[in-house]
Amino acid sequence: MSEIDRQVDEIREAFEQEFGRFADLSTDVSALAEAEARLRELSELKIRHTGKKSPISGAMKLIGKVAPEDRAAFGQMVQAVEKGIAAKIEEAETKLSAFISNAKIESERLDVTIPGRRIREGHLHPITILRQKIEDIFVSMGYAIEDDREIETDYYNFDALNIPEGHPARESQDTFYTTEGFALRSQTSTVQIRAMERRGVPLRILAPGRVFRRDTPDMTHTPMFHQIEGLCVDKGITMAHLKGTVSEWLRLLFGPETVTRFRPSYFPFTEPSAEFDFSCFKCGGTGIFDGERCRPCKGSGWIELGGSGMVHPNVLRACGVDPAVYSGFAFGFGLERMTALMYSIDDIRHMFENDVRFLEQFR
Amino acid sequence: MNISYNWLNEIVDSGLDPQQVADQLTRVGLAVEGVHPHGDDFVLDIDLTSNRPDCLSHRGIGRELSAVLDNAMIDREVSAVPSSDAGLVEIEDADLCNRFTARVIRNVKVGPSPQWLVDRLEAIGERSINNVADITNYVMHELGQPMHAFDLDKLSGGRIVVRRARSGEKIQTLDEVERVLDTDMLTICDAESPVAIGGVMGGLESSITDATVNVLLEVAYFDRGNIRATSRKLNLATEASYRFERGTDVLNLVRASERAADLIRELAGGEKAEFVDIFAVPFVPRSFLSNDIAGAVKRLTGLSVDRTECIRILNALGIGSSQNEDGSLTFTAPSWRHDIAIEEDLVEEIARHAGYEKIAEELPPAFGAGEYQPTERRERRLRARLADLGCVEALSYSFIDERHDGVFEIVPGIIGNSTTEPYVTLRDSVIEGALRMRPSILPGLLDSVRTNLNHKRRDLKLFEIGKVFSTGEGEEGLPNEQKLLTIVMTGSESLSDRAKPGNQVEFFDIKGGLEAALDAVGCYEAVYRTANVKHLRIGQAAAVSVGEVEIGHLGRLDDELAAGYKFKQPVYVAEINLTTVLKLPTANAAYKPLPRFPSVVRDVSFIVDRTFAFDSIRTAITEQANDLCRKVSFVDNFEGKDGDRSLTIRLEYRSDERTLVEEEVEAVHASLLKGVEQKLQIRPQM
Ligand SMILES: [Zn+2]
Repeated sequence: MSEIDRQVDEIREAFEQEFGRFADLSTDVSALAEAEARLRELSELKIRHTGKKSPISGAMKLIGKVAPEDRAAFGQMVQAVEKGIAAKIEEAETKLSAFISNAKIESERLDVTIPGRRIREGHLHPITILRQKIEDIFVSMGYAIEDDREIETDYYNFDALNIPEGHPARESQDTFYTTEGFALRSQTSTVQIRAMERRGVPLRILAPGRVFRRDTPDMTHTPMFHQIEGLCVDKGITMAHLKGTVSEWLRLLFGPETVTRFRPSYFPFTEPSAEFDFSCFKCGGTGIFDGERCRPCKGSGWIELGGSGMVHPNVLRACGVDPAVYSGFAFGFGLERMTALMYSIDDIRHMFENDVRFLEQFR
Repeated sequence: MNISYNWLNEIVDSGLDPQQVADQLTRVGLAVEGVHPHGDDFVLDIDLTSNRPDCLSHRGIGRELSAVLDNAMIDREVSAVPSSDAGLVEIEDADLCNRFTARVIRNVKVGPSPQWLVDRLEAIGERSINNVADITNYVMHELGQPMHAFDLDKLSGGRIVVRRARSGEKIQTLDEVERVLDTDMLTICDAESPVAIGGVMGGLESSITDATVNVLLEVAYFDRGNIRATSRKLNLATEASYRFERGTDVLNLVRASERAADLIRELAGGEKAEFVDIFAVPFVPRSFLSNDIAGAVKRLTGLSVDRTECIRILNALGIGSSQNEDGSLTFTAPSWRHDIAIEEDLVEEIARHAGYEKIAEELPPAFGAGEYQPTERRERRLRARLADLGCVEALSYSFIDERHDGVFEIVPGIIGNSTTEPYVTLRDSVIEGALRMRPSILPGLLDSVRTNLNHKRRDLKLFEIGKVFSTGEGEEGLPNEQKLLTIVMTGSESLSDRAKPGNQVEFFDIKGGLEAALDAVGCYEAVYRTANVKHLRIGQAAAVSVGEVEIGHLGRLDDELAAGYKFKQPVYVAEINLTTVLKLPTANAAYKPLPRFPSVVRDVSFIVDRTFAFDSIRTAITEQANDLCRKVSFVDNFEGKDGDRSLTIRLEYRSDERTLVEEEVEAVHASLLKGVEQKLQIRPQM
């Protein structure tokens, strides 16, 4: 080996020695901080052993001392050594960088199953949720939503609804009275009268609102509750339209398989009158759910919902509507009862206690 | 109402099993709630509507069933020839007693009833007393006619006078209670004094005992309204008064009397003697015309029932029909149906017997677009906004306790100026003390706060939208009803699913909530100023107004009031007259071209005391009306220890024509601050 070759070899060996601890990174690089330190050292090493001022780059200047015929071979040899050094450094750098970036990602790994961070959301009252749903359905069917007074004269609460003085429904002691002799409306049917007076006929209205009855609070009664009243008056309206309308909105609310049933009944403000039931939304009308007696329908398959009928001619006349020309249907039902059925609420008094443990369950 | 299946079969031979009978009755509107076995019998539990007193008996139910099955009732022949002994009964007040029959039965032997009678009564839930009493009860359940048996020998003068009670007259009734009568009450008297309260309850003195030998059986018809009034006044409701006030059958008296007398003779011995029937007010059946009954059925129900079938159903129910020359029909309501008066009533009879299930399902013709309440969209936004802010919607009773009177300041616009008594009050309530129709929602919500605190839920945000009331000066003196929005906040801001509480809620949280709520309904111009509000703590209370209109107030609940509720943490409340707010005009958003040149902002701090209002700085700057100053906003409020605080505001400068240069901004800024200093005597901190 010539002196010159020996010199190049020394340069290579010096590098190898210095580089030695980077040769097998997997055995001794563990912590992120150590890896980052190594990377810094490696970049210092790179500066020393590559580039114009590095020993191997300097070795190229020795080419002048090489015999002309060996110069090509010498040049190739030096270049090979130089390449070898650069490759080793680069390989080590790549490994270290990959390790560092992996380690960084690992150190910031999150438990994505922990709940997200947000303000605790509020909740609407279940009565509001149901009222809005039903209003949406009826507005889509061409109804105008109406509301009116909660404290009424006897005329609107009784007389105009064909409940004259002496009528059992009027003397049933169900009605709250103010000291001035006004009645807290005992049904939203009062809005029928107000709306017909205001709008005239034909009309289609839906009136949700608070009503009051002198019931002592218990599991199934509260002295205040909410009703929804529907009224459609036009030429040629029949009970078939009543059945069709009630069935339609119940299908829209509870699903297309819902079946509605009408039974003869009595209300002073309708003639003929009917109560309506719908096939249970839970058991689909079978009366059995999960192999047991279905709760909302008490095993009957039917849920009794409300009252309805053709508007009594006396009611139409009270609103200045000629019953020989116009006819109409009306229906009404209680929202608390419906809500209680839908959510299997065992005690209706919860509706007005405002216990957030109750209210937070609805969305 | 209990009906015995076996008993019913004696009236209509239905050939149906009990469940089939129940189904048929339910179908026509006599809702059978249950069929229960009872020995060799079945009991049908029927839920009757109040218009059908004629069905309060086996015969009444039988009549419906016979119409359903087109199968005639088995009726007994009745013939009772009145005797000439008219002196036995005298009706003084025929307006309250249209008809009165009396039957004397002599030499009876009062004793236990035979087993079949005991069983029958037991089946329908009635207790056996003695043969005579049981028979009157039995006949009432069979034929629907209440009756009363007197011990004839205990009637002074051996005769009956039907008259209104005299002032102060008393009677000890069968339930051994002495009752004071008034002159509106009808009594059955002997020659001297009342022996029964007509149609309600008999007297103890003249009642049947084991020693009774001669019986006078009263079967009568009384004015419905009078029976109802008497029953209410005496707080005494009986099976008899229940039937009389709903309406019995004035033409059924002789049948009932004969049936009872025959049974007494049969089961208690004795012989039928005098029979008196005073029909003081003749029965005039209600008749009315129908031009086209089948057409009326079609028009109201959509059902096609031919004329023959219509008439068949009606006749089967006892409704008479006769054809007039012009082809129209005159219908006559039977004496037992008080609910048949117009053509529509007939339509219902026909429809329920033809079957409601046969009515088609159709939608009414299209009418036009539906519409929400004019304020509903904004109210929905409001509710959604509040829920997004973490508020839970509450609903409280509209009536509250009187003890809240005067405790809470009522929001502006609720109570009129001229009223001396502002509160709407109930005559009575079913919840103790809850006599006031609420003029504020706060009492209800604060009760709810307490409920939740008791359940260890300390971080609460509640809101309610609802009506409040005050005495009215409007149409017919009806009370004012207006809608309020009320918000309550207490505890800490909570993050969902986090155990660690956030910051404690304070004044600016409820104010922020209210601002956001008002924004949601399109009310962007609310102004808040320091105010003294009865239920709010001084220094943490603000009145809210829009333009000239006061709309409500907000702040921290007064300490003493909070202590009364046992609140150990500050509670913040806001109450707003939503009716007023929703009447305010709302403007659509107006586009302004985007700025073409950059703006320059300057923050500046002032040392001010606690009574100073941030708003006054803003006003002092905006009223100088400098074109380049586009915005004055709040940045920070740093509370010092010595009662002073440092208030930082931000001014934004911008031109639409050019990029502002430093010197220009400095000059304007300095001039504006000079104006502030002159007006408010406060100096910016450098
Ligand atoms: Zn079910």
